[in-house]
Amino acid sequence: MSIIKAEALRYKYPMQDELALDHLSFSIDKGEFIGIIGENGAGKSTLCQALNGLVPHFHKGAYGGTVTVAGKTVHETSVGELSTIVGMVFENPVVQITGAKLTVYEEIAFGLENLGLPRSTIIERVDEAIELLNLAEVRDKSPFALSGGQMQRVAIAGMIAMRPEIMIFDEPTSQLDPQGATEVFEAIETLSRNGVTVLVVSHQMERLARHADRIMLMHGGRLVAFDTPERLFAMDFSGISVRRPVYTEIVRTVQKAGGISAETVPVTLEGAAEWLVKHRG
Amino acid sequence: MSLYVDRPSVIHRLDPLTKLCYIAAAVTVPFICPVKSVALLVAAVTYILLAAGRVVTKVLPLLGFVAPVLLSIFIIQGMFMPDNHALVFRIGPLYFYKEGLSYAALLSLRVIGILGAFSLLVLTTKPSDLIQALMEKGLPPEIGYVLNAVLQIIPQMANALQRITDAQRARGLETDGRLLDRIKAFFPLIGPVVMNAFVETKDRAMALEVRAFNSKTKRTFLHVRKKHPADVALRIMCLAAIILAVVWRLVG
Amino acid sequence: MIVERKSHSTFDNKKDSHKEKGLETMKTSMWSFKLSTASLVLIPAAVGINYIGKMIAGFLKLPLWLDAIGTVLAAMIGGPVVGALSGAINNIIYGLTLDPISFAYAFTSLFLGLAVGAMAYKGWIENAGKALIVGLVAVLVASVVSTPINIIFWGGQTGNVWGDSLYAALIAHHFPVWLSSFLDEWVVDVPDKIITVFIGYLIFRGLPKTFLQQFDRQNHTDVL
Repeated sequence: MSIIKAEALRYKYPMQDELALDHLSFSIDKGEFIGIIGENGAGKSTLCQALNGLVPHFHKGAYGGTVTVAGKTVHETSVGELSTIVGMVFENPVVQITGAKLTVYEEIAFGLENLGLPRSTIIERVDEAIELLNLAEVRDKSPFALSGGQMQRVAIAGMIAMRPEIMIFDEPTSQLDPQGATEVFEAIETLSRNGVTVLVVSHQMERLARHADRIMLMHGGRLVAFDTPERLFAMDFSGISVRRPVYTEIVRTVQKAGGISAETVPVTLEGAAEWLVKHRG
Repeated sequence: MSLYVDRPSVIHRLDPLTKLCYIAAAVTVPFICPVKSVALLVAAVTYILLAAGRVVTKVLPLLGFVAPVLLSIFIIQGMFMPDNHALVFRIGPLYFYKEGLSYAALLSLRVIGILGAFSLLVLTTKPSDLIQALMEKGLPPEIGYVLNAVLQIIPQMANALQRITDAQRARGLETDGRLLDRIKAFFPLIGPVVMNAFVETKDRAMALEVRAFNSKTKRTFLHVRKKHPADVALRIMCLAAIILAVVWRLVG
Repeated sequence: MIVERKSHSTFDNKKDSHKEKGLETMKTSMWSFKLSTASLVLIPAAVGINYIGKMIAGFLKLPLWLDAIGTVLAAMIGGPVVGALSGAINNIIYGLTLDPISFAYAFTSLFLGLAVGAMAYKGWIENAGKALIVGLVAVLVASVVSTPINIIFWGGQTGNVWGDSLYAALIAHHFPVWLSSFLDEWVVDVPDKIITVFIGYLIFRGLPKTFLQQFDRQNHTDVL
């Protein structure tokens, strides 16, 4: 069953001439893990923000077409109302710390206080989010005293506590060290296993390819391809630089040398190893 | 960042709004009754309360701040106030008069009292508790957020300034020397801090919005503030003091 | 960015209706109290900049306070309401954290932000010459609002040696207290506020257009 549906979605930022989103139509099923890839300026972040209402409500500009998430039409629903359906984690960990709270625990409760939930519910949900994101050790620390990876997990916890059905991650690890990136990807996997529909913008192709059910490739505001990693990374794109997982690149190099063309390619270490063993000689 | 001093005292346990009521009374009463005895009485009560809050020593540096100004008031009013007639003493060519010194004493008692009353609030109340108390009484949550955020952003920016100062000095920025050089040094120091602060605002605004910051629902609070049995009685006493002062003024 | 869509019905995918729908959301007064989130988050930044300006001025031993640059900038960017809020909140926070006397001067900061914001909105920061006039108005506003506070609390003095010397000389020659006090404050404010507004103006000119655009009041969603 589709939980996100876009029809002819188009969008232009204020004072810009070209479309940031150019007639996008797609649908995503409940529980899917979606990767979003593309060059800088391809429209990945804009697409993310078109799913939770920041486009058009926050940015204004010019908007056309429709997006529905869990039955709500985005351009007719406020960002606040959508926040209980679509959670969003941004690239920069520091700006997601509200700055109004003294401890991690209070920081995670911020959105729930804004929703006016009863105190007992707030405590229950914050405790649960802390448990899920493994933040018990730092719960009484100042959010500003944390590492980037910890801050990013606090940001995720703050969103998760609002119980969204969909979680969007816009380059959540690009400002983190490898340790922080691993922490965050593990958290995303946990959410996905718990049935949350997950969309992740990332340049970490190996990780995306391993977990994503499908991957969106964007270019110039358009959706170029939307398919399983195995099929998408097997395609050739002219004029668009697509970095594939290194394992896929190895297999494709071998395929090209051998004159083999295939509709699908392995995208993981195990898959590539298996393929190479099978095609020995 | 705050002047709050954590001590186990009755004053600390009072509702911040009660302390605000006390400030209202301690500021208005000495102005409604502009005589030294009332100003002295109010100041005395205030400092007894500060002692009860075990923070009286923390007021001394704040008083130190205003001491030079108060001293200058004694000198200027004592010597130059237009109403001056009765000479009290002279130091060489400097003549000091009763009327001016008396007026300076009234001003000083008031300032010392008012400073004490505000100190009673800020030294014994966590800023976040005061802000929550005001939000519960109808302060818009957006303003409550801004007040809380300011308290956190200033230390962050002070740290950023320290890093920038070190970096610019390493590049040979003149921070001593002629006035013109020092004025020129102002921009490379403040520029990066301003840009950093503003660059982050758009992203922070989005991050707030996705956490239902613009929600029209009435906010709830994670922390429950405890009410003290004396709160209501004290607020009534503050109001009574103001009414009494008005009556005194009208009758007297 | 104070624009708020009145209801979801203003959003309509029919192309022919978009002009009047757009117009409906366009006119919002500069005095509107409905602040966007982007304008609100400007306020903590402004107060922080005030603080940093004061620190740097002290560090460089400049004979000025320069403790209102953030308020002035917030007013130029976000308009009079954001300017006024930045000013008032600045003094409330100073009062809570550094110096309780600062509470009393919240009105001065409030009106400073209000005046600079209103003038900026009316186009008075288009060039350096006009910005200088904004600086003069800022001096006037700050002096007028501060004088009664100075008289109530300090009998008319400011605590500044040069200003208070002038004050002493004036009352010794039987000038009225209000005039002596006003001139005391005025001589202190002249260099400080003019330079503060001018620094604010210089920084404002250097801000990227994409940043300023988010505070544009005429901002609304068109239909494609």
